[in-house]
Amino acid sequence: MTTMSMLRDAYRAISQFHENERLIAWLQDRRAVVWFTARRRRQILFFGAILAGAIATFRRQSQWKSHLSATGWLAPILAVAILLALLYLLYLAAKHFSRLPALVRRRPQIALHTLFWLIIVLAWIAPDEAGVWKTVIFLIAVSIPYLVWRCGYMLLSGQRGKAAGTSFRDHLFYIWPIWGGANVPAGKGADYLTQCEAQSPDAYTRSALAGIKLLILAQIWDLTQLLMGALVFSNPKNSLAPLLKGYSLEIPRARTLLANEAPASLLMTWLSLYLEFIWETLNIAARGHVWIGALRLLGFNVFRNTYKPLLATSIIDFWNRYYYYFKELLVEFFFFPIYVRYFRTQPKLRMFVAVFAAAFVGNMYYHFLNARNGIAAGELPNIWATLGRPRTGYCFLLALGIYISMLRQQKKRGKTAQPNAGTTLARRLVQMAGVWTFFSLIYIWDLAGSATLFDRVGFFFSLFGF
Amino acid sequence: MNSLNDRPARKAALIEFLRNIQRPDHPIDAIPEDQKLVESGLIDSLALLQIVSYLEETYRIDFRERGVNPADLGSVGAILDLIERGGA
Repeated sequence: MTTMSMLRDAYRAISQFHENERLIAWLQDRRAVVWFTARRRRQILFFGAILAGAIATFRRQSQWKSHLSATGWLAPILAVAILLALLYLLYLAAKHFSRLPALVRRRPQIALHTLFWLIIVLAWIAPDEAGVWKTVIFLIAVSIPYLVWRCGYMLLSGQRGKAAGTSFRDHLFYIWPIWGGANVPAGKGADYLTQCEAQSPDAYTRSALAGIKLLILAQIWDLTQLLMGALVFSNPKNSLAPLLKGYSLEIPRARTLLANEAPASLLMTWLSLYLEFIWETLNIAARGHVWIGALRLLGFNVFRNTYKPLLATSIIDFWNRYYYYFKELLVEFFFFPIYVRYFRTQPKLRMFVAVFAAAFVGNMYYHFLNARNGIAAGELPNIWATLGRPRTGYCFLLALGIYISMLRQQKKRGKTAQPNAGTTLARRLVQMAGVWTFFSLIYIWDLAGSATLFDRVGFFFSLFGF
Repeated sequence: MNSLNDRPARKAALIEFLRNIQRPDHPIDAIPEDQKLVESGLIDSLALLQIVSYLEETYRIDFRERGVNPADLGSVGAILDLIERGGA
């Protein structure tokens, strides 16, 4: 056996430790694993959800203190109680979906968003004299961007007829998950989570080991980002900077180039854009691995959020691998509802409209609702100016790229691969470079900063010497 | 309406259709009913759209009322079950 093959085997044994059958067989008989049944895990998650919801609401009060005239312990407690009651009513709506009015049954997601927007409007118009009640409404309204998509999955479960036999605790644990996470529901809702839930000590051991692997990977990507910050971007606040004794490639961040804060050659500008794209991909991967790692440790062996996106060979392939649960959100709440309803006899137009509904309209709406400036604070013009306008360009180009990529992929499918006619390495590298270039370029419209949509168009053309 | 009245005939027609939308690098040969189509790499998630269109056209399944549940399209067996339930 050569040294190379020994090293390869050693790497495989370490990186695939979660599939080591001897380790799995040993672990699954441990008392803790046997005790930690699916029923017990769900009980812990249910009570954990109430605690997580309460902590999140108290945190939101301190985060938004400057906007609130009356703060204290009472408002968050009342807000949690009302939110729990609201979630319970939505659970009943999902459970008895067939008994809902026809209008709601036909468009459950629109009905849900209308209800939540009414609460947001109530937060805008509530007078200061309402005191603690204004704070309560505000705390409920600022919780909506986090809750609305999770409640959407609960209603989707009802629409599919899967919620009838479920209890409130089967839903609350993912609506207020103890692992926190972003507004995008990692692991989607009850249907998918139940499908992936480990029911035996053997399945739980496999799930937990896969979770540990992801948590380790998250740490590795965090460290890589840290190293990149010091070595590539020369961030003086980076904790690794002293170790490197000031050595750095000193490549400027793309946002500083966009804001004209630092001069750079054309080559450096391109390099900066590619590195920004890699940085963002690492960031998404590290965060997603933590959420999915936690879910797997809790026995839900769900798909990864990010799976080797830099190896993608088409735009649609990258979109599938980069931020899986955000893509799923857009597909399930925007793409499919449009796809099954409109232009059913015109396949290309049908796909075009559905893609734009998801990647453009849905994507814009999600980020608008997500805005840190605060929908509940009623700062809509501000949100539109800083986030909406530049992002329009990003979402438009993304939707166009996905549509073209889907058409190209559709043409390729169905052709049986010839033996030994697999994609050559060189061709694969060219395809990957194309994907990197596309996403690096459209990221210009997603970079933080005050540059307008048209400033970014100018920056884009400057990359080609115009 | 289709003339595919029994499960084996529907399965044969479905496999034939899947061959037309398979990934070029993962040819479909014998495929167990419970094999996950997307996860095992036989088709990509985009192909789910074509399965939706196939079910609409061949079996007149209407997804407007209940929506599309990717789990119902996850394997040959799941798709056949969906056809038998008439999309419900």
